Amino acid sequence: MKVGPVLRALPTLFRVGFAEAVAYRAEMLVWILATTMPLVMLALWTAVARQAPIGPFGEKDFIAYFLATLIVRQLTGSWASWQLTFEIKNGVLAARLLRPLPAVLSYAVDNLSALPMRFLVSVPVAIAGLVSVGRSMLPSTAWGWVYFALAVWGGWLITFLVNIAIGTLSFFMESSNKVMDVWMAAFMVFSGYLIPVELFPSGLRKVADFLPFRYQIGLPVEIFTSRHAQDDALSLLARQWLWVVLLALLVHLLWRRGLRRFAAYGG
Amino acid sequence: MLGRYLRLFAIQLRASTLVAAQYRYDFIVEGIISLFYTVTALVPLFVIFQARPTVAGWSFGQALLVVGWFTVLQGVLEGAVNPSLSRVVEHIRQGTLDFVLLKPADAQFMVSTSQFLPWRITSLLTAVGVFGYGFHLLGSVPSLSALLACTLLFASAVTILYSLWIMIVSAAFVVVKVDNLTFLFSSIFDAARWPVSVFRGFLRVLFTFVIPLALMTTFPARAMLGELDLSGLALPVIVAIVFFGMSRAVWLRALSRYTSASS
Amino acid sequence: MIVVQQLAKHYRVHRRKPGLWSAAKAVFKREYSVVKAVDDISFEISAGERVGFLGPNGAGKTTTLKVLAGLLYPTSGQVRVAGHVPERRAVDFLRQIMLVTGQKQQLIWDLPPAETFELNRAIYDVPRDRFQRTVSELAELLELGNLVDTPTRQLSLGERMKCEIVAALVHRPQVLFLDEPTIGLDVSMQTTMRRFIREYNERYGATVLLTSHYMDDVAALCPRVIVIDHGKLTYDGGLEQLTHRIRPEKRVVFRSEPSPDPAVCKSLGRVLSHENGQVVLLVPQDEVSGTVQRLLASFDVKDLTVESAPLEEVMSELFARGKSEKTAS
Repeated sequence: MKVGPVLRALPTLFRVGFAEAVAYRAEMLVWILATTMPLVMLALWTAVARQAPIGPFGEKDFIAYFLATLIVRQLTGSWASWQLTFEIKNGVLAARLLRPLPAVLSYAVDNLSALPMRFLVSVPVAIAGLVSVGRSMLPSTAWGWVYFALAVWGGWLITFLVNIAIGTLSFFMESSNKVMDVWMAAFMVFSGYLIPVELFPSGLRKVADFLPFRYQIGLPVEIFTSRHAQDDALSLLARQWLWVVLLALLVHLLWRRGLRRFAAYGG
Repeated sequence: MLGRYLRLFAIQLRASTLVAAQYRYDFIVEGIISLFYTVTALVPLFVIFQARPTVAGWSFGQALLVVGWFTVLQGVLEGAVNPSLSRVVEHIRQGTLDFVLLKPADAQFMVSTSQFLPWRITSLLTAVGVFGYGFHLLGSVPSLSALLACTLLFASAVTILYSLWIMIVSAAFVVVKVDNLTFLFSSIFDAARWPVSVFRGFLRVLFTFVIPLALMTTFPARAMLGELDLSGLALPVIVAIVFFGMSRAVWLRALSRYTSASS
Repeated sequence: MIVVQQLAKHYRVHRRKPGLWSAAKAVFKREYSVVKAVDDISFEISAGERVGFLGPNGAGKTTTLKVLAGLLYPTSGQVRVAGHVPERRAVDFLRQIMLVTGQKQQLIWDLPPAETFELNRAIYDVPRDRFQRTVSELAELLELGNLVDTPTRQLSLGERMKCEIVAALVHRPQVLFLDEPTIGLDVSMQTTMRRFIREYNERYGATVLLTSHYMDDVAALCPRVIVIDHGKLTYDGGLEQLTHRIRPEKRVVFRSEPSPDPAVCKSLGRVLSHENGQVVLLVPQDEVSGTVQRLLASFDVKDLTVESAPLEEVMSELFARGKSEKTAS
């Protein structure tokens, strides 16, 4: 595969992807409204913390945490698993494979071209946070912002790669959507989406540190809300990117095998 | 006429069951997933109630009842409401809705009964487990009148749920690409896990009157605890009737737009 | 049986220019234009007739059919089918009609077609004995054998189409709307389908309205055609007369031993083609017998037929004319 033509195609692909994403107004609205879970959790946890803080989290901390969660979720979300499963089952994948662009990359482009819109949604949320919580809402150090960017990127990569990995399972089984459901259930708990990881009971906490979920949402959020010292943050970032590498290898393996099967059976 | 529709319902249900019987191992898989979901959803509850004995006036045992009702309704949603109504979206996209409209039976009825996933009954079993645990913690058992009240509120909860769904699906006539609607609804519906008194102000109003999640889970839980008086019982029933009427009107309107606007 | 007066169907379509800026603008403001799918058409069809609807793509044929079936509401005009107003979708009306479209399916995918037949029986309230009779007659006509007990997903496309037809006709509708029924089928399946439709019409006296791009369908089935072009009705009458009007010349096709001399052929009439020893001459209607006599005298003719223009040509000509009229006006 030649890199040059691929790179040249990217801007157009992104532009078309963006136009597609924008073409369906109502769908956009629906999608934005759909990622509202953090707000519900926000209501819940602030209710709990109204009288007294829970651990290191007071009301304001919860507000900052869950608004940050909303933002991070917007920026790192991916639905490639469902998309891939659908395309395998319908044979539409064949069309994607014919393009002189690696299929996995094209899924990534699809995903990322929605980013500008998701970013737009994040901004008012961040502003709302600033208004209610104050400056502690945002990272206070330069490295904080840098590490946050890295953490978000890493978080997206993990989410995306897991989506692709589970999606490729549809090459081998009827539909991997159920597997994705199970993943999502575990994700809700262990990523810090429903509860800050810091508040886990100690046994669960140890488990969460080993699983990739925490690095999808929890880590970026924690860095954003300045819950870690620089050294800690760095070592956690390293672990996150280790997961990225491992998942990339896994995807590479699964994809190759899956494609061979697809070519043999036609999906 | 009622007899005819009952017969049609039986036939549709039979067809769905025949299809489901072909995928036997789904039963086990569904059961495991349902269990997994419920357990993972309980983790925040555990953590919260370890730190506090009560939250917004609800104890752990009482909050579990709300979760139990949520699980029941989720089972109904995924076993009866979602499968058939999401078919409507498919029909519209592929142009096969015409077949439904050609049949000499009410279109809304036909699409609403077109597909059931009987294996979702596992959610009901999980819910019973949760109820059991909750009452165990409370050290009591629901009275007979409480159980009767629950049955009534279950019916109204299902009606409200169904009506909400019909209204959402009616949007598919206008918007067509509504893949995310299931996701949207599940996300909002998820707030029904928590007793509504947890929410304040705007959200509380929203979840009581606009998207009446409170009436679907909190109220039945309170009925189970014997805490609801007659007016408390009447509210969900009235709202259910109102919502059903609204949803029918929305559906008919959407259908007439479809038949006027498409080609 | 079917009465249509000044039927019109318009609808709004969202128009957008390509490009990023237009895409973003479209989020806030949308532009619409009105498409006149059907524009003031009128016709009447009696019970038991077989009528073909012809026209270029997007002409309004399918739209008309759907209005007749009650699936679309007309923008204006009067429509009566079997004494009913279709858009009211009365139960009695729906019990008498059926719309069959080429590739859209109603058979339940995971179950044998027999289950779908049962379902339809219940929906249409067909008495059981009549149901059994109808299904066995249809199965016989289509040579189904025990396909009806195999899960739909295991059937081939042709077998599935046959079962779809039976499922659609379980209630023995008196009015049959067929929208591209043979699209995507192989040649033998197409022939079977045509034969079946004809038999159904003759046996049960059903009124059949058919749209198709395959001229063979129309030629085999429809003594009467209605041509719809850009939403307007441009012809209503016999197929033969239409051919005669558009392409009045006949074709004389012959083969002789030894191969015919091109110069002599030219003197007999306009030569359309001369290959592999077969010659096609274009001859005006009234000169046919004279030309044939001279032919027989000039050559040792082994094979001779006199044909009308192929339907495809007639249609292309008709649509091209319609198009040029439209651009002229």
